[in-house]
Parts: sequence; structure tokens; C-alpha cells
Amino acid sequence: MSETFQLAPLEIEEYSLNNGLRVILNRDEAVPVVAVAVYYNVGSRNEREGRTGFAHLFEHMMFQGSENVKKAEHFQFIMKAGGTMNGTTSSERTNYFETLPASQLPLALWLESDRMRSLAVTQENLDNQREAVKEEKRLRYDNQPYGQIFDLINEMIFRNFANSHSTIGSMEHLDDATVEDVQEFFRIYYAPNNAVLAISGSFDPATAKQLVETYFGDIPSQPAPAELDVSEPIEVAQTYREWEDKLAPFPAFLIGWKIPKRRSPEFNALYLAGKLLYDGESSRLYQKLVKGDESVIQLFGFTDERRGPSSIFVGAIPKPDKDLSRIRDIIMTEIGHVATDGPTADEMQKLHNQLINDAVRMRQSSMTRAQQIAEFALYDGDPKLINNDLDELLAVTPEQIRSVVQKFLNTENRALLDVVPAAKNSHADATGETTAH
Amino acid sequence: MPAPLEPAPFNVPQPYLTTLENGLKVVILSDGRLPLVSYRLAFLAGDAADPAEQIGLTSAMASMLTEGTAKYSSRELAEKIERLGASLSANASEDFLVIAGSSLSIYGSDVLQLIAEITFRATFPESELDLYKRNTIENLKFQRSQPSFLSNEQVARILYGEHPYSHISPTADDIERLSRETLTDFYSSRLLPNNAIFIAVGDIDKDELLAEINEQFGSWQSGDVATNPVATPPTRDERSLTIVDRPGSAQSNIVLANLAFERNSPDYFAAIVMNQILGAGASSRVFMNLREEKGYTYGAYTRLDAKRLAGDFEATAEVRTAVTGDSLREFFYELERIRTDLVSDEELADAKNFLTGVFPIRAETQEGLTNLIVNQQLYELADDYLQTYRDNIEAVTREDVQTVANKYIHPDRFAIVVVGDAQDVLAQAREFANRIDIFDTEGRKMDIGTFEEDPNSEVAVVNGTWKLALDFQGQRVPVTLTLDQKDEKISGKIETVLGGGEIQDGSVKGKKISATAITEIQGQSVDFVITGVVDGDSMSGTLSTAIIPESLSFEGKRVD
Repeated sequence: MSETFQLAPLEIEEYSLNNGLRVILNRDEAVPVVAVAVYYNVGSRNEREGRTGFAHLFEHMMFQGSENVKKAEHFQFIMKAGGTMNGTTSSERTNYFETLPASQLPLALWLESDRMRSLAVTQENLDNQREAVKEEKRLRYDNQPYGQIFDLINEMIFRNFANSHSTIGSMEHLDDATVEDVQEFFRIYYAPNNAVLAISGSFDPATAKQLVETYFGDIPSQPAPAELDVSEPIEVAQTYREWEDKLAPFPAFLIGWKIPKRRSPEFNALYLAGKLLYDGESSRLYQKLVKGDESVIQLFGFTDERRGPSSIFVGAIPKPDKDLSRIRDIIMTEIGHVATDGPTADEMQKLHNQLINDAVRMRQSSMTRAQQIAEFALYDGDPKLINNDLDELLAVTPEQIRSVVQKFLNTENRALLDVVPAAKNSHADATGETTAH
Repeated sequence: MPAPLEPAPFNVPQPYLTTLENGLKVVILSDGRLPLVSYRLAFLAGDAADPAEQIGLTSAMASMLTEGTAKYSSRELAEKIERLGASLSANASEDFLVIAGSSLSIYGSDVLQLIAEITFRATFPESELDLYKRNTIENLKFQRSQPSFLSNEQVARILYGEHPYSHISPTADDIERLSRETLTDFYSSRLLPNNAIFIAVGDIDKDELLAEINEQFGSWQSGDVATNPVATPPTRDERSLTIVDRPGSAQSNIVLANLAFERNSPDYFAAIVMNQILGAGASSRVFMNLREEKGYTYGAYTRLDAKRLAGDFEATAEVRTAVTGDSLREFFYELERIRTDLVSDEELADAKNFLTGVFPIRAETQEGLTNLIVNQQLYELADDYLQTYRDNIEAVTREDVQTVANKYIHPDRFAIVVVGDAQDVLAQAREFANRIDIFDTEGRKMDIGTFEEDPNSEVAVVNGTWKLALDFQGQRVPVTLTLDQKDEKISGKIETVLGGGEIQDGSVKGKKISATAITEIQGQSVDFVITGVVDGDSMSGTLSTAIIPESLSFEGKRVD
């Protein structure tokens, strides 16, 4: 049935203001709710050496006030209007978004435009947010068991600084950030011509356009930021690292591979290969390791989608006293099977149904739609790709999956990170980590 | 700030209701926006209905429902479900056991059949039960390392006494005791149609679905619903302080709690408006006070946990150990103030706007809408509960808020629970309660005397030069302290390999020494916070600094 499944396309209208701000409207009247998402074309990949963590620190500064909105008021305005909001930073982009009762569309647009036009930057606010970000880093990374392993393995997989350094950054670099850095970053990257504004949900398009023009129309554009080089050598040198984690209750490991960019045919095939290896209780590795072998407490895997070279991971927290290298052998053997025989017909049917199910569910929430649309507009220059995305994934053949697994995963070209609970390891050197191989 | 547009109405449609002859209640809401369906088969018996001698039985049964049936092994079941791109799970909460299935609407019948399969023909295979036991026991070990688990465990024990809500989790012994026989007996006697509700939301033809429900569930035999006697929670007449000693904690997890009301209380709406103003979110009073003004914590909140048989009110925060007492003081200030003074018109309006505004956002997805209907049904709320929810919020007055604050917040009878370093917590928090108990992280009661600072003990003499070794990631880093003591005050210097500085704020109490040194390291000013215990010419303790995420332990000797 999946071959014939037709999902009604989303209604999408796209235009640009004179200052270069790209606007995408997706009207859906199902519930009187409206979602606004602003995506800026800047992420940690744009950071310079010595300023890791800056894009994320800057995201915090966007809640510190602007010409007409005092510090912390952004949040209060939204809550008092019955809405929810947040902002996030990744390697690829920084986004800000809110969902509100449909009648509050003017508030959302006014708030987003005020900070795009007139961010207020003071030393006091910068110092204050620097501390908040450091607390966040402690809470979510440094003070969490296994909290740092993804940042560590990225450093092993990627060679280009733009790709390899962490989004949360280092404490030292956060300390070095100055008010001038913030102002310069704002000027270069937070210009309307470097952003996408997506509105999804219940609204009258004519009213929305008028409001967008009123609030955003007079924000001046800026020269386009310099082109960024995110290219990588294809191969990952075989790398191994042992990481001593003071908080981890059990040993664990993480394997990572460098793979082609998001939405490339190879990436799409690897995304599906990943799903059949580690996604869900019927996946091959779950059945082998959690069920059959009963050697693993937790199994996980995912793809990290980037506009440039991307990555795929498989990791496990084995039960105490299990042999980690044996578990890794089982994983590589299973990858070898896919590389030789490809997926089964049953697995293809499962993938197709899951893709369709995911695509339909994604369409339910205004916020999820606004975010997806903004992402396609920003990364690919075409928000309507949201209507083709499912077809592209459904078109991937078993042979394509087999061949990308053979080419990219069934290889020594991978990074392996071993996590050792600190208390269990008395051989570590003074820096808390060792490098071998 | 711009004016809003014309508000748009939002109406939750009324579902269709019927009851099968065997007593199974059926609730159907057609929602054709997208080709999806969500099904729930919910039983009005959760963990609270566990037999007293077998805590954890309902949760174990729920988890095991999808681990093998007469027709399918655990693996075949997982494959069958995932091949449809669907999901199927069973989970128990305190009050309910819910089997949930969702899928594309074209696979709705397959999912319905699988729900029936696990409801009637689960086999609880020994090998799967064994795997469940071992994984659950590993997980319990992990939970005991989490301070929030430890505080919740104490709060439930203190507030609920012999009431079934007093257990938040089975013990490892409870899990070991589970047997296939107990599970099978419980399964066949507890899953009864006359104690269940079937709820369907989505792209559904009502009559077709009703026919399918009748086919799958119509011949299900009703039975006697077992009801365990439920003990009344203890009456509290004084405040208590319970400390869970978690040595080395950088933070204190604070909970202040008392019993409140059950979920279908008529005070519910006034109480959630009150809670919104007091502590439900980041613009509420306790958050603004403890975080934004005082900077004691990353977040401070209050919450109302209203369950089927009873409920409680809790105020919570994770604070730096040094401000444990100050944080309690600010909590008491806010919790008294909401009782004594009327809230402002603006606070009332803001809270109502938030609660009514997010309501349609919650109903936007099918899962969200289904959850609203499930709660309305399971807690036996009014038939028009979802339709009148926002009107009921709007009707709350400032006086109502004050009334429920007085009715459900009792600072003079709070159970105060703090997870942290017991000695530091005791010194700061003992003034808040007459009755004080201390437990270790395994739940064993400890002797409070171990943690007392004896006010008559002599102040240790700490003058001199101390050579200490700091444990930095396995390496021993030398530190020199030169101390100059005047009664309980100390001044002096600290020297490290990275740089040194002056002690600004040092004191000795009994054998305990604490000091802050401001040092210059690579051109930057860095604070070191030192706490230690002196025993003759030996000293041990910890040093913490903002540039290193965790506190470092040290030990050493006086050299002159």
C-alpha cells in the first residue's frame, strides 16, 4: 500500500521583503493556534577559533531585551498571552519560536522583529548570561553521566574546525567573549537577509503579510556573511579514545562514522539503514543485544544531519561485566550482513510504513510544521520540499541501502569512544583520558 | 505591545459514549484532520491496587503484556507492530493501567486486534520475565543515585503512611519476588471489562469501529472488581524535617509538602490558578524570588499532584548547599504571603490567560487531544469538562485563590525533605522544625548525633602552614595554606601551582574550617571555596572553584 500513499500537500506561500527577509506562510485552520519560527543562518559552525560556544551564548542574549522589550519580558509577554516559546542552537542554525492563540499573531511578530532590529547588549547582561550558560553546561553536559560523549566523538570524526568543535563550547572561550563580539555577531548574522520567518497555523494571509511588513519591513539588510567552508576529507582516520567519566555508573561505548550531507541520496539511504539497525524493539541490534544476547542495558543510535559532512552513531551501555569488544563485534557483524544482503522485504515494508506514519504525525502541530518549513527554506532554499521529503525517502531502494552500508559503515574508517566509569579505572593518566591506536 | 486580533473560538467536540453489555465503556471521537487513529484501553486500577505483599505487580504485568502472547513471541509482536509503522505499549501509573496503540488509520483494525491479543492472550514467558527483573533491578540502582528519586521517596512515605500512594517504586526484593504464576493470576483476575474504558480518537467511522470493538471485546466476561482496603493517610499536626544524607552533594534538593486534594475536587480550578501564580512557571512568584532575585537556584516551583484517591501540594528547588536555610526562609515567606494577602488583579489575569491560552495548543495533536479525553474519562470528570474548562478558569476570583491557598497550603504542618550533605543541611535547616530525622540513600535511619555540631566543643587551633594534596582527576596537586587565626576567624594565604591569593572570608567552627580565597590565575580572578575538617595536625576536605565543574578533595598535614 505504501507505494500508493498520497499525503495531501501543505499549503505554502513564499515571498521576500525588500530587505531580504524570506517569509513562508503555511495556513492550516484546524485549531485556532499560530506558530512563528525565525531561523537565522548561523550556528556553531560559524564560530571562529577561540570563541566556541558563542552562537549559543548569543542565543541567550536574544532574551535579554531590545528597544521596546525589557530583559526577560519576552518570555513573560508570551506566557501572559497563553503561549509557549523557546530558542535553540545547533551546528547549522539558531532558531527562535513561539506558539500562541491565533489572535496573538501580532504579539509574536512584534517581539521577533524588535530583537531583530534593536537587540540591547550590555556588559551586565553578557556577564549574567555567561554565568547562566555555564550553569547550563554544568547541568546538561559536565554534570551528566555520558553528557560529553557526543562532543568528544565529533572531535574524533571531523577534521575541519567548523564541524568538529562543540556547540556548548568551552568555559575559557565563554569567558573571553566580549560585548564587541556580541555586537559584531548581531550585525553580521542577525540581519533580515540572513533569516527565514515561517508562520504556520490559523491566520488570514493578507493580515499576516501586512503585519510582517509593518514589523519587519524597515529593518535594514546587511552585507551577506562570508561563505563558510565545511568540507572534510572523506575518510575518518581510525580513531580510538578512552574517556574517564566520573558520573557514569556503567561502562559504555560509542561508534561514529562520517557520512555525506543531509538529503543526499547516500545520506537518505544511511538514515534508513540506521533505522533498521537500531530504531525500535524489532530492530536488528535491539533483538541481538537487548533481547537475544541480553548483554546491553541500553542501545541507541542516530544520524546527525548537517548541510555539510554529517555523521551516524551507534552506542550501547552494556550490563556490568559484559565484554564490550564482543558486543562491538556483534554490531559490526550485523552491519556486515546488511552490507552483503541488504534489507529484507519485511524491513522495507516496515521502513515505508514508519516513514509515512512519521510524516503524517509531523503535520499535526503548527510548531513542528513551521520549524520543518523554515529548515527547508534555510538549508535548501525551497520550503516546498516538505511536500517531497517523504517521496524522496520512499524512493530509496534496498540495493542503495546495501551499498551505502558497505561503503560507509562496513569499514575500519570509524571512531570508537570507550567510556570508563572513573571509580572503576585506576590506570588512567593525569588528564583523565588516554589515546591509543 | 500590539493589540491582539479578534479571538477565535475553539470547541472541543463531544465524543460519542456507549457501554457494552459486559460493562466496557466505549468513547469515540471522530477527528478526520489526518489519516491517524489513537486507541486506549484503560483499566481503573494501577500501582495503588498492588497487593500489599507484592508491590510492583501491576507495573510488571503492564510491561510484560507486550513480551509474548499465545500467538506471538515478544519479537514477533515488536515486528508486527513496527511493520505497520504503528506503536503499542502498556504502562501503569498509580491509578490506571493503560494499553495504548496508534497508527495510520488504514492499520487501525490491525492495531485493535493486537490490543485484544495482549489483553486476552499474554503468556508471561519465564525468559522474558527474567530479563524484565534483571533490567528493572539495574534501573533501580541507577535511580538511587538521583537526588529527586530520594526526595520523592521520602515525601511519599511521610505524607501517605499506609496509603498505597506511599510507594513510588518497588524494591529490588519486590522485583525478585515476582513469579510467572502471580502475574498470570493477577492478569486473569484484574483485567475486567466492567473496570475498563476503551477510548478511540481519530479518522474513524464510528459504526464500523463499534462493530470491530464488539467483535474483539464483546464476549469478554465481566467479573468482580477486587478492591483493596485503602488506609487513610496520616494526619499531621506539626512540621517535620527529613534529611537524606548524600555526602558530597553540591546542591540541596528541597521539597516542602502537605496533602491537598483528589483530582475531581471542585476546588481544582481555583487551585491551579493559585498554583500558576505561586509557582507553576518561570513568571511565578517563587521562581521570580528564589531564582531571579536571589539567584539561589536554576529553578524553583510549586506543584499540585491531584490523583484519583488523594493528592498533595509540593514546593521544590535544587539550591546551592550554602543557601539551603535562606531558600527555606524565602519559600516560607511566599507560601505564607499567598495565604494572607489577596493576589493582584494583574497576577490573576496573567495566570488565567496562560491556562486558557495553552489549552488549545495542548489539543492540537491527536495524542494531545486523546490525553485530554483520557484524563476526563479516567478521573470521572464532568461530561462537559473539556468544553467548560476555560469558563471554569475564567470564573476564579482573587478571593477563591486565597481560600484554596489557606485550605491546601499548611506551612505549620509541612513535611520538609532535603536531600544533600546532612551536616550542612542540618545546621541550616534545623530551626524550621522540631521533629528531625536523617536517612541514608538506602533509606536507613541514621543517628542524628553524628551530624550535630557540638556548640560546646573547643575551636580547633589551625594556625600555621599546611601542605595539602589536592586530587585533580587522579593527580595529586600540591596546595599550601598559611593560616592566621583569631578566635573563630581566619585569614592567610593560599598557593597553588597555577597561582595564589588571599583568604578573604575564613572561619573555624569546632573542627570545621571554611574559607573563600580570591586568587589570580593566568591573569584572572578566581574564587576558591575551601571546606575542611581539622584533626590535630591533619586536615581533609574539599575545594571548589568556578573553573572546575566538580569540587576536588584534599588532605594533608601541618608542617610548622
